[in-house]
This record gives sequence, structure tokens and C-alpha cells, in this order.
Amino acid sequence: MKILIIEDEQGLQESIEAYFSEAGNICETASDYRTALSKVNLYRYDCILLDITLPDGNGIDLLKTIKQNDYTDGILIISAKNSLDDRLEGLNIGADDYLVKPFHLSELMARVTAIVRRKSYNGSNVLTFNEISIDLQGKEVKVGRQSIKFTRKEYALLLYFIANKGKVVSKNAIAEHLWGDGADMANNFDFIYSHIKNLRKKLTDAGCRDYIQAAYGMGYKLTSI
Amino acid sequence: MKLLDRYNRVTLITTVIVMVITGIIYYQTISWILIQKIDDDLIVEENEVFNYVKLNHQLPQVFNSEDQQISFYPAVKGTITRQFINTDYYNSKEKSLESGRGLISSVQVKNSFYKILVVESKVETEGLIRIIFFITAGVILLLLVILLIINRLLLNRLWQPFYTIMKDLKLFSVTDNSELQHIDTQIDEFKELNTAVIGMASRVKHDYKDLKLFTENASHELLTPIAVINSKLDTLIQTENFSEAQSKLLTDLYTAVNRLNRLNQSLLLLVKIENRLEHKRDTLDLKVLIEEMLIQLEEIYHDKKLKINYTLVPKEIVASQYLIDILLNNLLINAIRHNHIGGDITISLTDSTLSLSNTGANAALPDDYIFKRFHKSSSSEGSGLGLTISRQICENLGFLLEYRFIEGRHTFTIQFNGG
Repeated sequence: MKILIIEDEQGLQESIEAYFSEAGNICETASDYRTALSKVNLYRYDCILLDITLPDGNGIDLLKTIKQNDYTDGILIISAKNSLDDRLEGLNIGADDYLVKPFHLSELMARVTAIVRRKSYNGSNVLTFNEISIDLQGKEVKVGRQSIKFTRKEYALLLYFIANKGKVVSKNAIAEHLWGDGADMANNFDFIYSHIKNLRKKLTDAGCRDYIQAAYGMGYKLTSI
Repeated sequence: MKLLDRYNRVTLITTVIVMVITGIIYYQTISWILIQKIDDDLIVEENEVFNYVKLNHQLPQVFNSEDQQISFYPAVKGTITRQFINTDYYNSKEKSLESGRGLISSVQVKNSFYKILVVESKVETEGLIRIIFFITAGVILLLLVILLIINRLLLNRLWQPFYTIMKDLKLFSVTDNSELQHIDTQIDEFKELNTAVIGMASRVKHDYKDLKLFTENASHELLTPIAVINSKLDTLIQTENFSEAQSKLLTDLYTAVNRLNRLNQSLLLLVKIENRLEHKRDTLDLKVLIEEMLIQLEEIYHDKKLKINYTLVPKEIVASQYLIDILLNNLLINAIRHNHIGGDITISLTDSTLSLSNTGANAALPDDYIFKRFHKSSSSEGSGLGLTISRQICENLGFLLEYRFIEGRHTFTIQFNGG
């Protein structure tokens, strides 16, 4: 994927860039409105990560420019403003998704992947990872020819891992992805463990290799081996 | 004690004391004047006797007029002193004794010496005094009653602006956006009070607004560093080979940052709902929302082996879905969080109330404090803002959120018509 990261906070920008680059994506960055505007006008990206508050302008204006020019880039707004109005305004103007700071990089990756996948939808909406193939429309998972029945959360978990393949995903990030505000009860992640155990068991039972591993007790990692 | 009552009491007592003293003086004066008049009559009679004796050298015929009696008694010269006395008067018509006034004097007829006793009835005089006294007392009483009524009516009306200001002050709330009203009054003191109160209210509101703005700004400013820490942690765990001790440290860091973030989000949310920023309102079915939330949190309560009983009827409310989600989530998560393993939660939704009750610590929570900011049990992992936020959301919607501890169960009840 080719990603443009428009974010004025240097530390955050670097982290995002590093995370996406290591996963094999091409990343460009812009720290202010002017640089961002010129890059947007010159190049096309699979997805643009857009911070609303920039030192010399408003991200919403940038979004409007992109939409007025009919650029087809996917756009994900990252904002410190957790206000419903901002979210609605952003999505109404044509952003594909809205993520509130602070977020986990794995969550960002999952959202970006989903946007890009939707954008590049070409009839068959099937995601393949080695022997696993997932029909995103029908939410059906197959290993080879064998179909596996997953619960809603196990399915979400699998997609999350595939989007973040090769990365250690923290338990916090998983809990937040699956339970949202419910993940508040952070000191007990046993239920995550049982979900992952079920997921792995269902995959291996269907003859799939075991791709998901625990990582130092902090989280889990899906590797292509 | 009301000012009016106090005022009335003081005026009444003073008036009564002054009236009593005046009454006594008045009575004494009138009695004195009237007695003087009787005494004058007695002297006139005495003189008539003297004149008669001088002319005729004999005692006059004893005759009794209607209210005067004269009697003569032989006496030894030099033993009689002339004096006025209070004595009895025998009314021969009514055959009764009346109080009377008498004059003892003496006269010499030729060589005989007589004591003269002239007695006049005081009945009429006393009657007069009584009438005067009663009229006066009546007037005084009437005056008192009229004063009292006027005081009550007039003062009540005069104090009306004061009561209006009081009422406004009682209803005053810093979070409320409505302004105190100007009161239409002619009285300078109340005008001044009104201006002072309005001034104070707007200053308080202004300060409170500043404070909220500060909280909001501070929380916003915190978001960025938290976001950076979070992303750096995510990046850090990608580097390989952590020892067990290191990964423990990292997990703790994650947990702390997570809590910091939630606390910050809660503060922002609280400021936002206290400002009553309008969120888009939809018609929501609470039954559906609760059922969805139960599915969403399934693993979490299963993990604690909690049993959930619920009876729900469809109940539609018009509210912001965003806020209702937060409200339900807070209450349900509290019921799970503060439960013991193997406990249970009962949810009941009727047309007028929603109540969640759960087992847990076997002691009532201090219901004065639990809705206050940052009040939480020491073992709680929460931000200490959840119930404050929940109550504020309920207030915004005109609901009433209450806590009760009944038979070992912690029960939170929302009354939909409780505002």
C-alpha cells in the first residue's frame, strides 16, 4: 500500500511511518497543511491518514480539496476530537473512517487495510492469507476447501491479525478492538486468551498451520512462517 | 422565625406595653378629675348647709335627692376633722349598696355641735369611666388589628421581590445555562440585592466556564502525548527478544497508559455533557440496546462466572445513542466490575424505570459520594468518573439516577420521569 501520513506531531508520525513501512508499505509524510496539499495534488495514495488539526490549516479543508478534485484516495481521519459532530462532518464530506487519538497502531493498520480493501474491491471480495481464504462479503472463512464456523469476535480477531501480520499485537489493542469501552476491565485478559485459543484450535483442526503465537506475554503475533 | 413575625412580635409587645401604661395613666387621670367634680358637688352641698344654718339657725330638713344623702349626727366639738372619704352609698330605690364619696364636716347650730356627712353615689361616675375606658380600649384594639393586617399585607407585598430572588437563588446552578432574571421593583434595597445576585451568578458561571475550558484544553493537550506514548509502546514491542521482566514492565506500562487515556477521555466527555452540547437525538429502544450490550460484554461476564437475569419490555426513548451507550455501558460494567466471582446481575426494564442490581461487597456504598467526581473504591480500576458521567447524562435527559442497597444487592435505578 502507498500511504500518506499527514500528522504534525513528530513522535506519532514516526511511529506510524515505522509501523507501516516495516509491514512493507510505502509511506510518505507531511507535517503541515502546505506540504500535505502539494503532495495530495501531485501524487495518488491508497490511503491518506489525515490529522484534522494542523499548525497552518484545517484537515477538513484538505479533505474538501481531495473530494472536489475527485481523487479516489481512501481517507482516514485521525483526530484528537472525540466529538460526534466532527466525526459526522468528516464522514459526510467523504472520509472513509474516523479514528480518535490515542489509538493502537494495530488498530490503525486494521482500519487502513479495511479501507484499501474496500477501495480496491474488484468483484471477488476474497482475502487470502496462505491457505486461509476469507470471503469478506459473506464473512466466510475457508482453509483449503473446508469452511470454518467462527463466532463474530473470532472472525474479527482473525481479520485483525491478518491485517497486522508479522506484528506483535498487544492484549490491550485486542481488547479494545473487540470490546470497545468494555475493555476497561483491563487487568484480566483471560477471556482474550480463551478467544485466541479457540481461534487457533478451529484453524488447526481444519488443517491450517498454526500462525498465531504468544509474544512474551504481552500480546500475540501472526506470522506467515 | 420570619422577619415579618419577628417584626410583628416586637411591635405588638411594644404597642401593648405602651397601651397598658397609657391606659393606667388615662384611667387614673379621668378618675381623679371625676372625683374632683364629685368633691366639688359635696362642697357645694356643704356650703348650702352652712348658708342655711347661718340664715335659719337650725339644721335644714334632711332630704335625700336621687344621688345625694345628707345626715347630721350630734358630736362633741373639736373631734371632727373635715375630710373626704370613700364610703358606701345606700341606694334606697334599688335597695343596694353602691360605692360612694363622702364629705365629713361639722357645723355649730346655736350651742349644739353636729357632724355633717354628705355622701354622693359614684355609680354614674364609674359608669362614665368604664364607658370611656372601653371605648378607648376598643379603639386601641382595633388599631392593633388594623396595624397587624396592614403589616401582613403590605410587608408581604413589599418582600415579594426578595422571595423571588430567593427562589431564583435556590434554583441556581452553575451548570445551568439560563440567566437569572431582573426583578421589577421600586425598592432600592431589592434592586441592589437583585443586581448583586445577578452579578455574582454571572461571575460564578464565568469562573466555572473558565475552569471547564481549562479542563477541556488540558485534556486535549494531554491527548497528543498519550497518543505518542501509546504508539511508541506499540513500536517498542515490535523489537524482538524481551525478557520476562521486561515484558512485565511493558504490560504494566500499557495498563497505566490505558488508564490515563480513559481518565482523560472521561474528563473530556464530562465537560462536554455538562456543557449540554446537543447531540443528535434519535428514537431508541432501550430493550434492543441492552440486549446488544449484553452480547457485546458476554465474554467479560462469563469470565467472572456471573449469572445475568433480565426482564425487559420494549421502551422507546428519544436521546442521543452515543450518550445512552455510555450510560448503559457504565452501569453494566460497574455491575460486572464490582461483582464477585459467581455472583449475579438482575436487569429489569419497565415502562417507567430501568434498574440494575448486582451482588458484590456486602456493605452499602455511601450514596452521597458515589456520584461525586473521582470517588471510587480503592480496589476499583475505573476512572472514578463513570457514575458522575452517568448521573449527568440522566440529568440532561430529565431522568433520575439513584442508588440503593437492598438485601445485600447494589441497585441502580433510572426513573424516566424523575427529572
